[in-house]
Amino acid sequence: MNNSRVLFLIAGVFIFFLAIAVKLFSIQILKSEELKYLAERQQTGIENINAERGLIFDRNNVLLVYNRNDISFYLDMRMALSKEEKKKIGEKFSAVFGKSVSYYSDLMNVSGKTICLEKKAPSEKALLLKNFKAIGLFYKEEPTRIYQYNNLASHVIGYLSNDLHGVNGIEKTFDNQLKGFNGQMYVEKNAIGDMITVAEEQTKAAEPGNNIILSINKSFQIILEEELKKGLENFGGTSALGIVMDPNNGEILAMSDQHDFNPNCFWEYSDTLRRNKILTDTYEPGSTFKTITMSALLDQKLCRDDETINVENGKYKFNNVFINDSHNGNSTLTVRGVLEQSSNVGMSKLVQRIDNELFYKYIRGFGFGNYSSIDLPGEAEGSLKKPTGWTPITKAFLSFGYELSVTPIQLISAYAAVINGGTLFQPQIIKRIMDSKGAVLNENSPKSIRSVISRETSARMREYLRGVVENGTGKAAKLDFISVGGKTGTSQKLVDGKYSKSHYNSSFIGFFPVENPQILCLVLVNSPERGRYGGAVAAPIFKEVAEKIAKLNSKLFQSNQIIKKEKPELKNHYSAINSESNITPASNNTIRKIDNNYALKNNLMPDLSSYSLRDALLCLSKLGLKYKISGSGIVVAQSITPGIKIQKGNTCIISCQESKINGAVIY
Amino acid sequence: MLGLRIDYKLEDKFDLGLFLSFLVLFLIGLAAIYSSTLHNHGAGGNFDKQIFWGLTGFVVFFIVYYLPTSAFKSIAVPSYLISIFFLIIVLVVGRRIYGQRSWFGIGSLGFQPSEFAKIGTILGVAYFMSRKNVNIDTFKDIAIALGIGLFPVGLIFLEPDMGTSFVFFGLIFTMLFWKGISLFGLFIVLSPGIVALSSLFGPLYFVFTLFLVVLALIFFKKDIFFSGAILALNIGAGFFTDYVYRALSPHQQKRILTFINPGSDPLGSGYNAIQAKVAIGSGGIFGKGFLNGNQTQLQYIPEQWTDFIYCVIGEEFGFIGSFIVLMLFLYIFLRIIKIASFTKDEFISLTLIGILSVYFIHLFVNIGMVIGIIPVIGIPLPFVSYGGSSLLVNMFMLGIVANIYRTRKNYT
Repeated sequence: MNNSRVLFLIAGVFIFFLAIAVKLFSIQILKSEELKYLAERQQTGIENINAERGLIFDRNNVLLVYNRNDISFYLDMRMALSKEEKKKIGEKFSAVFGKSVSYYSDLMNVSGKTICLEKKAPSEKALLLKNFKAIGLFYKEEPTRIYQYNNLASHVIGYLSNDLHGVNGIEKTFDNQLKGFNGQMYVEKNAIGDMITVAEEQTKAAEPGNNIILSINKSFQIILEEELKKGLENFGGTSALGIVMDPNNGEILAMSDQHDFNPNCFWEYSDTLRRNKILTDTYEPGSTFKTITMSALLDQKLCRDDETINVENGKYKFNNVFINDSHNGNSTLTVRGVLEQSSNVGMSKLVQRIDNELFYKYIRGFGFGNYSSIDLPGEAEGSLKKPTGWTPITKAFLSFGYELSVTPIQLISAYAAVINGGTLFQPQIIKRIMDSKGAVLNENSPKSIRSVISRETSARMREYLRGVVENGTGKAAKLDFISVGGKTGTSQKLVDGKYSKSHYNSSFIGFFPVENPQILCLVLVNSPERGRYGGAVAAPIFKEVAEKIAKLNSKLFQSNQIIKKEKPELKNHYSAINSESNITPASNNTIRKIDNNYALKNNLMPDLSSYSLRDALLCLSKLGLKYKISGSGIVVAQSITPGIKIQKGNTCIISCQESKINGAVIY
Repeated sequence: MLGLRIDYKLEDKFDLGLFLSFLVLFLIGLAAIYSSTLHNHGAGGNFDKQIFWGLTGFVVFFIVYYLPTSAFKSIAVPSYLISIFFLIIVLVVGRRIYGQRSWFGIGSLGFQPSEFAKIGTILGVAYFMSRKNVNIDTFKDIAIALGIGLFPVGLIFLEPDMGTSFVFFGLIFTMLFWKGISLFGLFIVLSPGIVALSSLFGPLYFVFTLFLVVLALIFFKKDIFFSGAILALNIGAGFFTDYVYRALSPHQQKRILTFINPGSDPLGSGYNAIQAKVAIGSGGIFGKGFLNGNQTQLQYIPEQWTDFIYCVIGEEFGFIGSFIVLMLFLYIFLRIIKIASFTKDEFISLTLIGILSVYFIHLFVNIGMVIGIIPVIGIPLPFVSYGGSSLLVNMFMLGIVANIYRTRKNYT
């Protein structure tokens, strides 16, 4: 063979090998670090683990707010799906969600963008689609806040914005407590984006938010809301506000602003409706404020019970201003009678006996002109002029509730101080905060702010207020089986700077039993159309609320009062409401429901199946049981049979199974 | 001393170095196939199948090894004709895979006639060129040699399988070169191909290459009509490329485009090239270890056990592993060149060089595409990639080499 051709061939082979070797050296040794980084970057990713938002319970551990992991399905139409694929997707979705195939094919009749095939589908339906794969189809977990009882206590609880931040109510004030801490996991992803492995040692688990137990009593809340609604129907009006408070510690048991809204679909309601007017809107309290004036006078011993006051037949010229009584017809009244008949003339005469500064001090002492510091957002402080700014008639007008503005929460807090022995408490909406495992982080104790009036004054005021209901303007609030005290209020509303003759705030604040007040309740109707006076509009609403609350808690009042035989159907009605809270919402595997009422009372083992692990543990620790866990996710089996009597300290083995779909998978 | 004599005899009759080099390559290939199909449920059986094909291949190798060397010459013409026959048949009844009609299905096994046509074509072309009256510097004999060689190329191009056609082109030109074609003859044969290739890069490259052709024509000082005809042929080749380019399937067009600009479509056809480079590069000097290559295990490179098998080696065994593979091939190639250059029989010599060129083009195109110095053309890495037809044919050819080594003294 030709030697030069052999050499040429060998040279050629060497040149090509050299080229390959040089390139190999370049990418495997010189650029190795860069390419290693590229490889790791595309293979690993950080996935957020969303922390579960804390739950909200009423004071009796009835679950009011929980979370559901809904799943939304999206289709990337840029993938240019074929007809068969679209048909396949349409048929599958139609089979799972029960909508027509043409509904989906209409949806898919676009190109170049991502469409949402199903928004927030419940996870048990989404599970049916777990193994269904199609080009461009992917799903996302969308945690959804569920307000179990819709409108119930909506102004207290508030709602979440679309980016899951609290906007109003407890959801806003305690956003930091509720939201928890998001976790992170490092995952390895394959070429099509499926998660392959999770680096356990580098995973930071999400910390669920803390649970909040409200001071709200769900049964009271239902009563209050129903009665306010009825009241609005009966009397008309723009809104009806109501608060039920325990006067002995300032705990709010119910709070409602009708009309309310449904936090599950808050966007359908106006801003005005979503605002909690109990905190944000101030008004001139009118006659309900006479109680405050009278407390100050009695506390300073500036008048006696049996003193008679000339009330000038209800019309009195004072410093060139006429003061009128609404309920006229009397020439003289006793001091007690002035409050019972709500005489403006009598009050304005009596109030002259107290020094301006001292009167101001009492008003401030009862908390007016200052924030009540309740744990709810948006509170107004109202307005109260300092004595230096008072005109000669200011004190007289203040005595019957004009020339200052208050919020309903300020007024009810002040009333609590009047009747509870003289101590002003900060109004409380939260009973305790617990972490996700059930350990108590913060137990609210009554926060007394100051002592405003003496014990004796308070006792006398209770009797005075009982008199208002027995003999005076508040007769419509009288209950025949339990003693009630209270005060009516009717104030003209300021419309365009003038006191309107047609727009009134009609209010009533009452409490029972008089001897040992347990329940204090404020009702305020804005601009009622039928009836004007607090005694005619608000007092009957109060009466309904009081009667139902008293009957619901018959045990609470038994020691004080002889209770009439309850109407059986009434009892059934409310026990039905109560038992409603014990129903585990069916067919949803991510629902968190603590059924401790029945089980705790009877010391029986509850059925934990379909509980989340977290809630099961919460329940077990409450019952004093030890536990062993296998698996994670939703409880599917338990070693102690439901219904068996519990021996404290026993160990219950629970097995769990994951039935959630993790993470977003992009096909 | 008896043992030594036997050893000597074995070495004398059997090229142990060649065989062991092949064996190591095959075993590295098996390991890489195992690694790349471990987490792929669709390709789970490929490791076992490759073992089966390997064992079958050894049988083929030893049968070919023990054949009388003269047999290759006598089967040259029939094997060429049979190859052509199957290439035509496959166009009619072949199984369509990825838009190509290049397979016969026999049960679950596939059979690729274009692989077997390599043997037929090598033997056929060698047979023609080694005839006594052939003068490779005459236009007629060049044309006949090209005709024999390019006829199967045309059929394979119709499948269409560009990668394999490319191998046949290279095979014929290497054999022409080895036969002793004049520099001018080689220029005539090669220049249209170079012009065609350059025209893919755009009009500017096309014109520049034509300019070089004109310079060469002036250098060879042939008469003006002949030179003009050559120039016309080159221009025609340029335009013909454009025509062929349009006739290509869209995914092949895309591959050519991404070679010209690899970053143009990182998620499309440039994806494989980028991922392959990332896989090999991230292996570093020592590699990530067997079964520890993330790129491979997470299936970033599709069908890695076939054409992209070199990535597995690069990623899991590093620069050292990939360099060893390279050196084993270099050893095999140098052995073949050595045997081919010592033999006096022209048919045998041409056959060996044909075999060498098939191995070499496969190696260079395959590794070149994996490391990104040539475009992605899907042809397997000999002895290493998964695939029955390819392995059997490569072992058949290795058998020919070993056979010739066994009887080399008869032909020197």
